[in-house]
Amino acid sequence: MNLNRRTLFKLAAAAGTAGVAGAAATSRASVVPAALNARGVLVDTTRCVGCRACEAACAEANALAGPEKPGDDTVFASKRATSPTAYTVVQKGSLKSPAGEDRFAKTQCMHCVQPACASGCVVKALEKTASGPVVYHADRCLGCRYCMIACPFGVPKYEFSSATPLVRKCTFCAERQAKGLVPACTEVCPSGALQFGMRADLLEEAKARIYTNPEKYVHKVYGEDEAGGTSWLYISDVPFESLKLPAGIEKKSYPELAEGALSAVPFVITLWPPLLMGMYTFSKRRDEVAAKEGDGRQEERHV
Amino acid sequence: MNEYELLSPYTAKALEYVLALSYLLLFIPFWRFVQGEAVPVHALGFGWFQVPNGVHLHVGHAWARPEGGAVEVGLDDFAHKLVGPLETVRLPEIGAPVRQGQKAFTIVAGGQPLDVLSPVDGHVVAVNEAVRAHPADALRDPYGAGWLMKVEPRWLTGNLKNLFSGDAARRFLDAAAGKLAQRLTPQLGVVLQDGGTPVHGIARALDEDHWDELARQFLEGK
Amino acid sequence: MSEHALKPALFGGPSMRENLFLGMTFRAYLKSLLTPANAIAAAILLAGLPTIAYRFWKGLGAVTNLSQTNAWGLWVAFDVVCGVALAAGGYTVACAVYIFGQKALRPILRPAILTGFLGYALVLFGLVVDLGQPWRLPYQFFLTPGTTSVMYEVGWCVFLYLMVLGLEFAPAALEWLGLVKLRRLLGSLTIGIIVIGVTLSTLHQSSLGAFFLMTPGKLHPLWYSPFLPVFFFVSSLAAGIGMVVVESALSHRAFRDRLDPAASVDLDRITLSLAKGGAIVLFAYFFIRLQGLVASGRFDLLATGWGAWYLFEMLGFILLPSFVFAFAARRKSARLARIAGVLTVLGVILNRFNVSLIAFNWNVPDRYVPSAGEVITSLTIVTIGVLIFRWIVNRMPVVNEHPDWRGAH
Repeated sequence: MNLNRRTLFKLAAAAGTAGVAGAAATSRASVVPAALNARGVLVDTTRCVGCRACEAACAEANALAGPEKPGDDTVFASKRATSPTAYTVVQKGSLKSPAGEDRFAKTQCMHCVQPACASGCVVKALEKTASGPVVYHADRCLGCRYCMIACPFGVPKYEFSSATPLVRKCTFCAERQAKGLVPACTEVCPSGALQFGMRADLLEEAKARIYTNPEKYVHKVYGEDEAGGTSWLYISDVPFESLKLPAGIEKKSYPELAEGALSAVPFVITLWPPLLMGMYTFSKRRDEVAAKEGDGRQEERHV
Repeated sequence: MNEYELLSPYTAKALEYVLALSYLLLFIPFWRFVQGEAVPVHALGFGWFQVPNGVHLHVGHAWARPEGGAVEVGLDDFAHKLVGPLETVRLPEIGAPVRQGQKAFTIVAGGQPLDVLSPVDGHVVAVNEAVRAHPADALRDPYGAGWLMKVEPRWLTGNLKNLFSGDAARRFLDAAAGKLAQRLTPQLGVVLQDGGTPVHGIARALDEDHWDELARQFLEGK
Repeated sequence: MSEHALKPALFGGPSMRENLFLGMTFRAYLKSLLTPANAIAAAILLAGLPTIAYRFWKGLGAVTNLSQTNAWGLWVAFDVVCGVALAAGGYTVACAVYIFGQKALRPILRPAILTGFLGYALVLFGLVVDLGQPWRLPYQFFLTPGTTSVMYEVGWCVFLYLMVLGLEFAPAALEWLGLVKLRRLLGSLTIGIIVIGVTLSTLHQSSLGAFFLMTPGKLHPLWYSPFLPVFFFVSSLAAGIGMVVVESALSHRAFRDRLDPAASVDLDRITLSLAKGGAIVLFAYFFIRLQGLVASGRFDLLATGWGAWYLFEMLGFILLPSFVFAFAARRKSARLARIAGVLTVLGVILNRFNVSLIAFNWNVPDRYVPSAGEVITSLTIVTIGVLIFRWIVNRMPVVNEHPDWRGAH
């Protein structure tokens, strides 16, 4: 190839454009669309017996104090919430199953496909990984708590009592997954309510179960398009709201709601200066003309 | 469920356009209301305030009329109409010295004392006892019976050079009137055009709270 | 103190003592500080500063009523969100004077810029108090920028704008210090600085509204709108006008003896011009809020308790001040205009509080109420701002002109 100046310019232009496009792409890169190898968990609440072994396993895997009132069912008396020291809690449903059994649902971070928390984090302390987990970098977080405001499920919890507080939430056992292990909770679940696997496969499995047992299940997979899709999927034979799974979640991803405002920024930066300079020049001209016409009386201008 | 889908898109859009159009229709009269009616400046201010021949005006709105060996001093028509009827006039003692541009006497109107600057240098030889007893009368004949004091001048020719007379005096008063005109409301403008004066003085009608500051601006010759 | 304030020797005078202690001896100066107003300020600081120290020692939970459901409280709502809106007078007046050529507003320009500068500095102070680990603030710029976040954009904008405001105010400080060359250099850069300032302000004023775009389930539908950024931007214009009207009236009274007799500072005329602007902006703002309501289609909510509160804000604090400003401009009553200014400021505060605190998490049983510690901290921050404002105005040519630089600003 003849490397003359023209070719060089063409290459430079191509590289430049690619660079800008790449930069534009990476500016969205902390929110990765549902990749083909994204993991997930299917929670079949018809199989959950409320033993809370998952809570104990989670506490052990994350070196937290053990679950609240282990083995004591009075803990289900009121609505439970995760906390900085309890990344997952099992909720008891307010309705019994058609067969008269109690129903439970494990709640934790949903590890959304396009998480509001990660897109809103000003220092990328919360980051969506390609394999599914939304991980937290404790060494970056400055404690603005925007993730807590943004998360529609109310997941992130804050260490308000600490002088160097951090955000705490389920990690989807990202470190274990990196070593080829499964999340601790899914490993210990005795009844098979928690099934770990590829999200796409689990979605198929969930729909298959509903299709083959249409009178048993509610005809919906919770998490299929909640918040644009979550990694944790739920199927149930009682209404999801009775299991304390939040209703009213948007069907599209939450970061999309802020996209319009964010994309306007470069336009304002580009258009405002020439607009303002234009108005400045116009009003300066008008003053000069007025001064020339000898209106000595007019020292000031009035609105 | 997405709450934004509740209203049919056609109805919503129609309502939005109707609202926008209503806004535009309402905006025009609102803008005009806020800007206020244009008070034609040229129609006001000319010849409102009188100054007879032979009278010399000081920038602080006191006047001087040389008569025989003495100079008659008073407050001009503009200042009287500006502050309204006088409640008290504190005149200097006979024999007191006065300097051009320095405080000569004090008038009290609307409860506020206002200093008036002397148009000439000299010393006081007479004061108008009648006006001192009935200050409000001065307004009726500011250049005649409303004279306030008589001064024996020290350096009349020099002093007169710093005073306005004849056409210059009229232009001076027109300029002062012009400054007031910028603050006029349409109603007040009509009153003044008809030759009337607000009962408590123009300054009070223009600015209830700070009329004394407004008056002082003129009386201090600014 | 008043005679010293007007003596030219005070400006860039030969001795720092004259500059700092207003020409008095140190002892005399200290004595002059014993006023009732200062006693109140001292009491507030005495309660607030230890509270802030305690917050850093024992953590946010020890001082605030923040909880896992209510992660943002009074400090974010007032010190940050309201603070930014109320400091908008800096860019609105600067734009009016320099871009639109409204020279009549010149006398209030420097106080407005100072209010803006101090306002944003206090926002930063409030932010540092509220953040869990504020020493990590620079991470967003220099370490791991979260470019997808609205907060990232706000962070940069506020950071840059604080510097811009500093540059806009610097001429006053340079005149005080007598640094002629630097002062002249800055003077030549004015327009560029102003244009950057207005652009940055547009961006971050609207972005504060954009924060809440991701929270449709948590913010009451009557306040949530995809147009929140536009609402916040337009109401910041109104806030700027209202604040300048109020602040100039208060300064005029507080610093009466410093006012230049030579400058024709007709504050009432300026207030009336501002009133015209305020009337129009609030009128337009009211209608775009209505458009937001139509776009949401939730007229049914107007019949609820929240609907009444919404109408209270809309009619009492947007439409009403618009009309009061309009009447004030028409009747040429500066006093009415000042009342409207106060209503406008209260209205913007109410709106910001509604979006970030009151109508936010409206459907949550565990509602947030600020703690005494939070209230005293916010009060302390405002007090510090007022004290610094007073210190600067008493020494630098803000409400009056430096005798060497007459007509130059």
